[in-house]
Amino acid sequence: MNKQFRSRTARGIAVASALALTLTACGRGDEGGGGGSRGGSASPGITDDSVTLGITTPLSGATAGPGTCTVAGVKAYFGAKNAEGGVEFGDGKTRTVEIEALDDAYDPQQAKANYDQLKDDVFAMTAGLGTPTNRAWREAAIADEVPQVLVMTGDPLFSDPEESPWQLGFVPIYQNEGEAMGELLASSTGEHKVAILSQNDDFGEGYVEGFKSAIEGSDNIEIVNELTYEATDTSVDAQITELASSGADVFFNAMSVTPLMISALQKAQQVNWTPSWFLPSNTSSPGAILEPGGAAAYPGIYSVAFSKTPAAPAFADNEDVQTYLAALKEHGDYPDPPAFPHCQWSWMVGATLEQAFAEMTEPTRENFMEALRSIEGFEAPLMLPDTSVSTGEDGQPAVSTVVVQKYNGKGYDTVETFE
Amino acid sequence: MASASSVSSAPASSAPSAPPFRQRPWVRWALPLLLLVVLVVAPLVLSEGVNETLARIGVFAVAVLGLNVVMGYTGQVSLGQIFFLGVGAYVTAYGVQNDWNIVGVFALACLIPAVAGLLVALAAARLGGLAIAMVTIALPIVGVPLAKRLSEFTGGSQGLSARFAETPEWTGLYDDQWQLYVVLVIGGLVFVLTRALVRGKYGRAFAIVRGNENVASSMGISPYRYKVLAFTIASLIGGVSGFLYMLVIQYTSPETMSFGHSIELLAAMVIGGAGSIVGSLLGGAYYVLIPELTNQVDPNLTSLLQGAILLVVLFLLPGGLASLPRALTRGRRRTRVGRGPAATPSTPSSTTGSATAEPAPTERQGHA
Repeated sequence: MNKQFRSRTARGIAVASALALTLTACGRGDEGGGGGSRGGSASPGITDDSVTLGITTPLSGATAGPGTCTVAGVKAYFGAKNAEGGVEFGDGKTRTVEIEALDDAYDPQQAKANYDQLKDDVFAMTAGLGTPTNRAWREAAIADEVPQVLVMTGDPLFSDPEESPWQLGFVPIYQNEGEAMGELLASSTGEHKVAILSQNDDFGEGYVEGFKSAIEGSDNIEIVNELTYEATDTSVDAQITELASSGADVFFNAMSVTPLMISALQKAQQVNWTPSWFLPSNTSSPGAILEPGGAAAYPGIYSVAFSKTPAAPAFADNEDVQTYLAALKEHGDYPDPPAFPHCQWSWMVGATLEQAFAEMTEPTRENFMEALRSIEGFEAPLMLPDTSVSTGEDGQPAVSTVVVQKYNGKGYDTVETFE
Repeated sequence: MASASSVSSAPASSAPSAPPFRQRPWVRWALPLLLLVVLVVAPLVLSEGVNETLARIGVFAVAVLGLNVVMGYTGQVSLGQIFFLGVGAYVTAYGVQNDWNIVGVFALACLIPAVAGLLVALAAARLGGLAIAMVTIALPIVGVPLAKRLSEFTGGSQGLSARFAETPEWTGLYDDQWQLYVVLVIGGLVFVLTRALVRGKYGRAFAIVRGNENVASSMGISPYRYKVLAFTIASLIGGVSGFLYMLVIQYTSPETMSFGHSIELLAAMVIGGAGSIVGSLLGGAYYVLIPELTNQVDPNLTSLLQGAILLVVLFLLPGGLASLPRALTRGRRRTRVGRGPAATPSTPSSTTGSATAEPAPTERQGHA
């Protein structure tokens, strides 16, 4: 018994000391790796011949579709550039661009974990999709002085340089889209009565805010009724019926839920209300929403865009589109035709980053942020005419200009006037 | 080490009068002490990334521990644990944003989820078996839209950020070290208290309620009261993990309490080992490390790989990772002594007393 006692003691101590040794051996090699770099010495993730970019984005779960696109586009862009030898930087060196992408499954906690994992190995974080998943590590990125740039969220917080010195959003904020629609309507010569339905959250509020600011002071536009719904509602029939009775000839519907949008389009027809519609860019897909909704019954369906749609016949022979589709297949691990606009946006992110790289004179994160904020009126590949990347404007994302388009029964055409 | 183990195995099976190794008086003090020393030293010597990962493991180990109290020990299926984590996180974030005293915030982050849990349990515990699971499923499903709608308090779908764990100057520690220490202290306290709870009078009552409610009633133990108690404690522990979540992640949004995470927590508990303190730790480690591991393998296949790992673990170790050492020793004894399963007399599955801390795998089947 005593023997057993002692031998077990020995084993316990042996295990414990082995553990302790392993722990000490790990040691804290590099002191405080997360801190920002000072002055001229190179930041993490960049050497004389390569630079590494990090992405955390949903690659599994409900948002995996658009999430996969956000990686594929930028990967394809730099894959093609690397194949040509690399990207030329402002300091005269040519570097290849590596992408390290991790899956966060749209979970803020996982996004933060991914950021922690990447921050010491990558030069900058970019292109990740999602408002909560980007917000989760925004403050950490500011504290660590890691660029979190050209991310795919319509949240205005990322485009406020006071609040977010190390951030920059890429896609237009909700207000931009609403404003573009309002401007088009205000420029019309006729009298219009507008009914508004919006989602009761920052998405809906942003759209309505932008829309109202654009029509402010226009005597020919009158808002006759304004209702909201919750993102979790399963039906908006009651709201549609009430709005129909207002006799409005224009319907501004800031709705982000696909099935609700379809049923709204159907319900309005049932109650014989046929106004012109304004729809957000993410719920205006011709095939997935307008056709099942029977949109042909309405005099006009308007939405906004800033990128060319590769599937549209008008762009099928476009050189940009051809290069893009080929690269996506070859370098982006994305063999199918892109199902989400995020693929195109991500490709533009690649082009915008290349612009910033070309302006960089020092291989530091500070210098990169300066270079990135100095891009003015850059027409990235795949951009529609009259839209551009401008990073210098306070409170605006990299792309703040959108053009209004009208549904033509198959796809969209850019329009200048509301008729 | 090798020689030590070879000596030990022979007499081990023939000492019925000796108390098991882990219950010897000196071991009961020395092991925790050693553990304590390791825990104090580890944050100082480990790298920043490891510390951050450890802190996250701590957060989810506490959440899994709470789930274990109600599910592993009391046998009531709860799919709502993530809701209480979310409530705790939101209370913390709101308190910090309004500059409340941090100790008060912590108290509220425990209290509010506990009260919410109590109210739910008062109704839900009247049901049995899968019905209680159905009620608890509602919590995260209601929680997400609730968090979006109460935007005055929750920041709506944009969520709330709060950095409140600024490292005090006098410590001279890095942020990651300070955070890990706070997680270790609070989480460690919760673990010690829970261990005391499930090993004592209440733990025995929980085990009887889990085993057979009629037997419990006949012994003067009200299954209803103990179910409510277990549920409330689980909610409270969930609130604590929510506080730690805000400490480490520093951000919460409605996504935090999405239903999928509740299922992941449950999977983590089963994988770690239901009804086991160590299993809760392992469950937390599983919850945090597996996504990182699968991300390293192929970020496009994370869900698939996680599913495969889940199945493999459940096939090989139905009792969870906590049963691994026992499975190993049993296998070794079987080969050496040739005496088979009789070599593990300390964990009979029907014992309702002190065996609660290390149940045999068969103990979990009643409430699947």
